[in-house]
Amino acid sequence: MTGAPLPEPAASPTATDAGVRSTQRAPRPRWRETLGLLARNPTAAIAAAVLVLLVLMAVFDETVAPDGPNEISVDDRLQAPSWAHPFGTDDLGRDILSRVVLGAGVSLRVGFLAVAFALVVGALVGLLAGFYGRWVDDVLMRFMDVLFAFPAVLLAIAVLAVRGPGAGNTALAIGIVYVPVFARVTRASVLGVREEVYVRASRSVGASDWRLLTRHVLPNAAPPIIVQTSISLAFAVLAEAALSFLGLGTQPPNPSWGLMLAEGRGFIDIAWWLAFFPGMAIFLTVLCFNLLGDGLRDVLDPRQRTLMAGGGR
Amino acid sequence: MRTNRLLPLAAAAALLLSACGGGESVDTGGGGGGSGGEGGTLVAAVAAQPDQLDPHQTTAYPSFQVLENVYDTLVVPNAEDLTMEPSLAESWETSEDGLTWTFTLREGVTFHDGSEFDSADVVYSYRRIIDEELQNSYRFATVTGVEAPDPRTVVLTLSQPTPNLLERIGAFKGMAILPENAAEDIDLVTEANGTGPFRLESSDASSTVLTAYEDHWGGAPSVGGVEFRYITEPAAALTALQNGEVQWTDNVPPQQIESLADDDSVELQTTPSVDYWYLSMNYARPPFDNRDVRRAISLAVDREAVAEAAWFGAAQANQTAIPEDSFFHLDYAPFERDVDQARQLLSQAGVQTPLTMGLMVTDEFPETVTAAQVIASQLEEIGVTVEIETLDFATWLDRQGQGDFDAFYLGWLGNLDPAAYYQEQHQTDGPNNYQGYSNPQVDQLLQQGAVETDEDARKQLYDQAAQIIVDDVSYLYLYNPDVVQAWAPGLQGYRIRADKAIDFATVELP
Repeated sequence: MTGAPLPEPAASPTATDAGVRSTQRAPRPRWRETLGLLARNPTAAIAAAVLVLLVLMAVFDETVAPDGPNEISVDDRLQAPSWAHPFGTDDLGRDILSRVVLGAGVSLRVGFLAVAFALVVGALVGLLAGFYGRWVDDVLMRFMDVLFAFPAVLLAIAVLAVRGPGAGNTALAIGIVYVPVFARVTRASVLGVREEVYVRASRSVGASDWRLLTRHVLPNAAPPIIVQTSISLAFAVLAEAALSFLGLGTQPPNPSWGLMLAEGRGFIDIAWWLAFFPGMAIFLTVLCFNLLGDGLRDVLDPRQRTLMAGGGR
Repeated sequence: MRTNRLLPLAAAAALLLSACGGGESVDTGGGGGGSGGEGGTLVAAVAAQPDQLDPHQTTAYPSFQVLENVYDTLVVPNAEDLTMEPSLAESWETSEDGLTWTFTLREGVTFHDGSEFDSADVVYSYRRIIDEELQNSYRFATVTGVEAPDPRTVVLTLSQPTPNLLERIGAFKGMAILPENAAEDIDLVTEANGTGPFRLESSDASSTVLTAYEDHWGGAPSVGGVEFRYITEPAAALTALQNGEVQWTDNVPPQQIESLADDDSVELQTTPSVDYWYLSMNYARPPFDNRDVRRAISLAVDREAVAEAAWFGAAQANQTAIPEDSFFHLDYAPFERDVDQARQLLSQAGVQTPLTMGLMVTDEFPETVTAAQVIASQLEEIGVTVEIETLDFATWLDRQGQGDFDAFYLGWLGNLDPAAYYQEQHQTDGPNNYQGYSNPQVDQLLQQGAVETDEDARKQLYDQAAQIIVDDVSYLYLYNPDVVQAWAPGLQGYRIRADKAIDFATVELP
C-alpha cells in the first residue's frame, strides 16, 4: 500500500452544500477512499510505488548518484556494467547509473512542469467553454481545435524553434501541445455535470458562477481530468525524451534520458549499455504513469467505484 | 537534413582533386541507364547530399565529393604528397620576377558535351570567380590579369610574387574549369559539364549518379559509373558496406575503427588528414580579450584527452595547425596542462571565478559536441563554467559572422599551404578572423610569407607567425584527425588521401 502521488483531487463533492443530495454517504473524505481503492488494485499500487521511488530519487539525486553526472574520464570510457559502475560507463567515461539517476530529475521536472501548465490552462479553458457554452465555447474550442490539428511533436518542435532549446522551453512546448487535450476532457466532463440537479439547485438559491464552478462543477468534473493528468505525464516524459533525442530539449552535458539514448545510439554495436539503461528508465516511467492512469480510471469511475466499494460499506 | 559543409568555407577549403572532364550535364529525367562501358557501378555511401553542384559557389564537402569526379583544375595535388602536378595544364613557366605565370594547356581534352577545351574556358572560369566575387575569389587576391594569347596558352599576371599560386588554383575543385559561358548555357546548380572522368547523370534526394566519360583525356574510368548514396547515420553506412549494398564509405564511426581492423568483410584504412580542429575565443568579449585569460584556458585543456574522446585514437593532439606529415609542420607545444598555473593566471588577470564562457558547437559535426563536453569538464577545474550551446549549423554560422559568441569550436578542412592555414584566420581583419585577433608582428610575418619564394625561408616566416599565434591563443589548437574510409575487400585502384579528395577514376570493383 502506498500513497499515490495524486494531485489533491476533488474534495468531497457535495456534503457541504446542504440538501443537494439526500442520499449522501457518510463523510469519509473522498480522496482517502480513492487511495484505499487504489491500494486494492495491485498493478496501480505497484506503479504508484515505483513512481514515488522515482520522485524520491529525483529529489535526492545528488545523494543517490554514486558519481557526478559530468565527471569525465576518457580512460574509463565504455566500460561494461560492473560493481564499480553498475550500469557501465559511456563514451566519455561518465557513470551511466549516476546519469540515469540525475536524468530522472530532468525528465520528471520537465514532465511535471509541462503537465501542470497544460492542466491549468487546459482545464480553465475547458471549464469556461463547457460551463458557459454558446460563443465562449465556440471561440475557445475552435482555437483548441487549431492547436490540436498539429501533430504533437511537430508543434513542440515549432515552439522550440522559436524559443530555442533548453529544459524550460521544452516543458513549455510540451505543455502547449497538451493544452487542447485537457481542454477537451474538461469540457466534456463539465457538460455532463453542468445540468445536474445539485448545480441547478445551487444556482436557484443564488450561488455565483464562481461558487458554482469551484464548489460543484469542477470537483465533480475532476475524475477524468485526474486520469488524463497521469496519462499525460507518461506522454510528457516520452516527449521530453523525443525532443532531447532530436537535440532540441536538454542540452549536453546535462543528463536527460532522451539525450543519453541519442548519444548511445552510435555505440549500440559495441556498448549496448549506453542506450539500454536510459531506454529502460523511459520505458519504466512511461509504463508506470500509464498503469497508474488506468488504475485511477477504474477507481474514479462512479459505477466501478460502487462496484468495488459497494460490498464494503 | 544535415548537409555537411566544408567548415572552412572560403579560405582554407583546399578540397578534392580530380581529373578532367567536359561535356554537358545530363537530363535528370530518364531511365538512368549507365552509359558506362565494361565495369559495373560503384555505390559509395556518403554522409549527406550535395547542397548544389556549382563548383565555384558551393562550400559543402558533400558537393566536392561528387564534383571531384566531374570537373578538373589546371593543376591538381598529387595523391602521394599533395604537391601540385599537371592536370589540364601540361606545363607552366614563371617569369624571372615571379609576376607572370604562363600555362600550357593539354591538347585533346573535351567537355562532357563533346566541345573542345581551350584557353577561353580557363579565362571564363577564372573571370567568373574574380568578377562575380564568388566564394573562392580570395584565392586570386594577387592576380591582376588572366589572358589567353592563343588557344593553348593562359597567362596569369600578378601584383606580387605568389609562391603558392599552384595551390591557390589547384587545391580543390572550387577552382574547376567550366566551359565558356557555362553559367548562361546550363543551370550549374543542378547540372554539370566538366572535363572529368565521370559525367553527371542525375542527382536527387536519395543519391547522385555519375556515369563514366569514355572520352576522358586520361582514359576512360574502369567502372561504368558511381552512385553516391546518402546515408546519414554512420552505423547504417557501415552496415550497408558489410552487407554489400555499398562498396565504399567515408562515414565510419570512429569508435568502430578498432573493431573493424579485424573484420574481414571490410577493408578499413586511415591516414593523417590535413584538417585541424580548434577553439576560438572572442576578443570583443571581456575577459577573453585578455591574453592571460586565454592562456589560462589553453593551459587547462588536455588536448590528448579531447582528441581521444572525439576520435578514439584516430587523431593526433597538436598545439599548432599544421600536421606532422607536412613540410610546414612546426614542433611547438608550449602548453603542458597545469591547473595551478592556469588558476594563477586567471587571478592575476583579476578575473572573478566562476567565470562563465558560452561555447558554441553544432550537431552538424558531432565531434564538436563531444569535445566541448570534455573541455567543459577540464575548464571546470580552473573555475571556468562552460555553457555548451548546441546549434544547427546555419544559426551557428550566422552567429559566428555576427561575432555573437564567447567561444566556438570548429575545424578547417583540406588546407595544403601554410598561407591557407594561417593567413585568412589570423591576419588583422582577415576574412575568417572571426575572433578579432590583431598583432602587427603576425601581420607582417604573414605578409612576408605570402611572397617569399624560397621554401625554407618561407617555412621560417610561418614558423615565427605560428609561434606568436599559439602564444597569443588566437586559436586554441587541439588536434589533427585521421581520414577514415572503408571499402569492400577486393576493391582496387582507390587511394585514401590526406586532403580527403575522393577520386574514383581508377577504381576497380572486386
